[in-house]
Amino acid sequence: MNTTAATTGETWRTIPHRIRTWADRQPDRVCLREKRFGIWQDITWREYWDNAQLVAHGLAALGVGAGDRVGIHSENRPEWLYTDVGCVAIRAISVGLYSTNPPAEVAYLLRDSGARVLIAEDQEQVDKALAVEDQCPDLEWIVYLEPRGVREYTNPKLLHWPDFIERGRAHQAEHPTLLDDATAAAGPDDVVTLIYTSGTTGPPKGAMLTVRNVSFATDVLGGGPGLYDPAPRESDVTLSYLPLCHVVERAATIWVNAAAGTTVHFAESIDTVVANLREVQPTLFFGVPRIWEKIHAGIQIRMSSASRVKRLAYRVGRALADRIADDIVRHEGRRSVRAKLLYALGYPLLFRALRDRIGLRKVRACGSGAAPIAPEVLRFFFGIGVVIREAYGMTENSAVATGNRGARVKLGTVGEAHEGTEVRLDDDTGEIMTRHPGNFAGYWNKPDKTVEVLDADGWLRTGDVGEWVDGTHLKIVDRIKDVIITAGGKNIAPSEIENALKTSPFIKEAVVVGDRQPYLTALIGIELETVGNWAQRRRLTYTTYRDLIEKREVLELIQGVIKQVNADFARVEQVRKFRTFPKELDHDDGELTATQKVKRATLHDRFGDLIDDMYGGTTKFAGGDLAQVHTPASSEVPA
Amino acid sequence: MSLQVDGAARGGADVPSGGGGGGDGARRRPRSRVRGRPQLYTSYAADQAIWNTPAKRAWTLALVAAVLVLPFLLSRDLTSLLTTVFIFAIGGIGLNLITGYAGQVSLGHAFFMGLGAYTAAVFGGESTDRVVGLGLDMAIWLPLAGIVPAVVGLVVAPLAARVRGLYLAILTLGLVFIGEHVFKEARSITGGAGVGRAPAEPVLFGVDLSGRYHLFGYILSREDVFYFVCFAIFLVMAIAARNLTRSKLGRAFAAVRDRDVAAAVMGVSLRRTKTLAFTISSFYAGIAGALLVLVIGRVTPTSWNLFLSIDFLAVILIGGIATISGSILGAMFVVLMPRLVSELADVVPFISTSPGTGVFSVFQLQTMLFGALIVLFLVLEPRGLYGLWVRARNYWKAWPFSH
Repeated sequence: MNTTAATTGETWRTIPHRIRTWADRQPDRVCLREKRFGIWQDITWREYWDNAQLVAHGLAALGVGAGDRVGIHSENRPEWLYTDVGCVAIRAISVGLYSTNPPAEVAYLLRDSGARVLIAEDQEQVDKALAVEDQCPDLEWIVYLEPRGVREYTNPKLLHWPDFIERGRAHQAEHPTLLDDATAAAGPDDVVTLIYTSGTTGPPKGAMLTVRNVSFATDVLGGGPGLYDPAPRESDVTLSYLPLCHVVERAATIWVNAAAGTTVHFAESIDTVVANLREVQPTLFFGVPRIWEKIHAGIQIRMSSASRVKRLAYRVGRALADRIADDIVRHEGRRSVRAKLLYALGYPLLFRALRDRIGLRKVRACGSGAAPIAPEVLRFFFGIGVVIREAYGMTENSAVATGNRGARVKLGTVGEAHEGTEVRLDDDTGEIMTRHPGNFAGYWNKPDKTVEVLDADGWLRTGDVGEWVDGTHLKIVDRIKDVIITAGGKNIAPSEIENALKTSPFIKEAVVVGDRQPYLTALIGIELETVGNWAQRRRLTYTTYRDLIEKREVLELIQGVIKQVNADFARVEQVRKFRTFPKELDHDDGELTATQKVKRATLHDRFGDLIDDMYGGTTKFAGGDLAQVHTPASSEVPA
Repeated sequence: MSLQVDGAARGGADVPSGGGGGGDGARRRPRSRVRGRPQLYTSYAADQAIWNTPAKRAWTLALVAAVLVLPFLLSRDLTSLLTTVFIFAIGGIGLNLITGYAGQVSLGHAFFMGLGAYTAAVFGGESTDRVVGLGLDMAIWLPLAGIVPAVVGLVVAPLAARVRGLYLAILTLGLVFIGEHVFKEARSITGGAGVGRAPAEPVLFGVDLSGRYHLFGYILSREDVFYFVCFAIFLVMAIAARNLTRSKLGRAFAAVRDRDVAAAVMGVSLRRTKTLAFTISSFYAGIAGALLVLVIGRVTPTSWNLFLSIDFLAVILIGGIATISGSILGAMFVVLMPRLVSELADVVPFISTSPGTGVFSVFQLQTMLFGALIVLFLVLEPRGLYGLWVRARNYWKAWPFSH
């Protein structure tokens, strides 16, 4: 079945090819489920492939040809997949937009990619596109999925999805060989998608992934123990909830599904993930640290308000879990007989029910990636029998680099190199470099940026500093650009300290500051839900986020967390002072990227007053040091 | 009733299919739930099914099995008592439909039960020189015992639909008094006060249910046969009622109960809904009445009095307002508690078994316990025994969280 490129002898298969194979082999097996009107609606392989073909023809009917870009601005849903697969089927290029992207970023992405057609989910996304329509000269069509509110719009570029599909059907009748011709013309160097980097440091850059990249990543991540270990099977069930425009979810949803034939369930929205998890009980689950932290914090909060007997049961269960976690860490991911016995003891008491409530009862493989995760959080999940395997990868290498596999899990590392992957560290800087067929073709329209990261020998500079642990496992120190050099000349990785702080259920954002300064300080944002709950139980009244975070008691709470975290760090790495963000950081305000990563430069700029306050020795803003806290002297809002 | 079609056993999402070859077969089987994932509903039928989780289904089956085995283990009088529980449950469900679900307080339940009993006696009883009887088969008189009270309910309903609350209670109370009087005077039908008449003949499809039968080497006594017949009737009527309450009509009942003005505004016809509530409730009462005399035997017309109505109010109050399972629990409680108290009387010294001696007599204690329990339930757990069950269930359902 493999298509072999005559020149190189390498094998590659496109995603449409794989979907088509499934549709031929098991046309009536369910491969996707989408919750609509309160019911999980089945979609079979045949329906998946038929719809993808119709979309391909529909795009062709709108004039999209080989190499043209098609934007997708939607939450995860089957139409996203149809469009992505349909694009590749006619050799067009799909471009994902985050549903949280504000109009200005939508304009940038559409202009930069030069998308001719945009698939917009609903009125919200259509409005964003229409607002910036005049800045995007290439945009010819906007196909909307949800007609509510859009029906009355008269813009001639608008097209409703069913009409779009009808055009595809008509086109299919006229040009039945279109897809076969496209398949015959396809080559391994065809660009299939642009995945825009989150852009923590500058404007997002569109990474071009080719057929070869995706095929390699699909085989490694979906066909073997790459993203999940043990490797995915047909019987596996997954939940699709992270943004599909991110490379990780693209891999977890589309590539794994196409490679292994898993059944993908689409969460209704990011807000219903918890409820959907409970319903779906996936067997494979990939989470970003934020999700794992949230589940962890959610358990702690709900336990703190549980009845006495239940709290006692939880305490006993946790005591067992801690031992199990230690055991698993010591045996590098393998469950020893002792761990199994302890687990069997805690299973009826706590673990079974707890895992059921959080929707991870049936999980048999799960991973974490895309950002560093605190070892404490991993330990917690190890203890309740959910062995999370941390993996490492990035958009530019199709998410393929390293992973913790088998009984060789080392806590605090991102594991060993995947099969067919070369990983090495730069001799001078310690920067991690990877080389494999998944290395991207370059940044879209930015050859100057491409040469900065991709050298002539095919090595990709990841921008992360790493070090080897025991010669086999890779440990990420930090982003090169984020490493803090204190006035004393000491190199410090802020993310480690930040993650330790964020392990606390009360702390959502922690930004460690201290470059060229005598000591470290931190800007802290709280988790409104958990701190609000904490305040309620203390009968502390508050109105807004700012009111809450500037309460003396809350400041003392933060102070306590910092002191506790400091105990685990060397003296130079200890946070001496902190100030609190007067607002929740937000993507719309440009403080976070679409993937909720902080943009340090923006923050340093915007909250410079807070930083000056700390190093100037003044106490103008709410915060404190290790000895005392203070509420703001004035109500002046910084920047 | 709409039970889920469960084809999940073959080809659920977590069952690996044949792999290479021909896939899952050409035809697509309707599946409504995925095995091992009880909350993953892929059809509304599964979502709304009565037994919507495998656990519920298993427990219901186990319970039915236990009920079917019980008569072989119990003495005849206990079997008879359990038969009474089924009959009280039927009557309780009937009262719960109108008072619990539709919110119309009815004290006239005893009247409709009496009506059912005498309809049965007239159509199914032996004709003697004092009373009339047609001697028909149970297959005919049992439905009639429900239909005749239902028709009377239908006639009374337009009056009852005009009033609510206390006025309705008084109106239905009037029914009991009128009924008692009519029953006493209509001698050719009821046998008259202090005398009564024999109940209908329990001959179902030509099979005499009062005989003994041999089943797999066991001898089925008259009580055992009654037990099974009543259980079957109870099961049908309970499931029918449960489905009724999940239907459009059931929701209309609840809407009228919660606020009749709001229900009317939403387009629920008050008259139609209340009339149907009365009619259906009377049907259940009639069946319960007809079966009750079969178990008790000869009863005087004065037994269909206010106290019987109150017994049934106790069934639904203690069991649980607006729940079918609650009606069943309440019936068990009301029927079995007196027996339990009299068993206790042999053990506890200050309870005497005959009036006049000891601190309390059994009967005094029964009455006092009854009253005290109703008060306690109203104050502490207005949702009744069913509410207690729900609390216990939720406690474990949320484990290890509290909510």
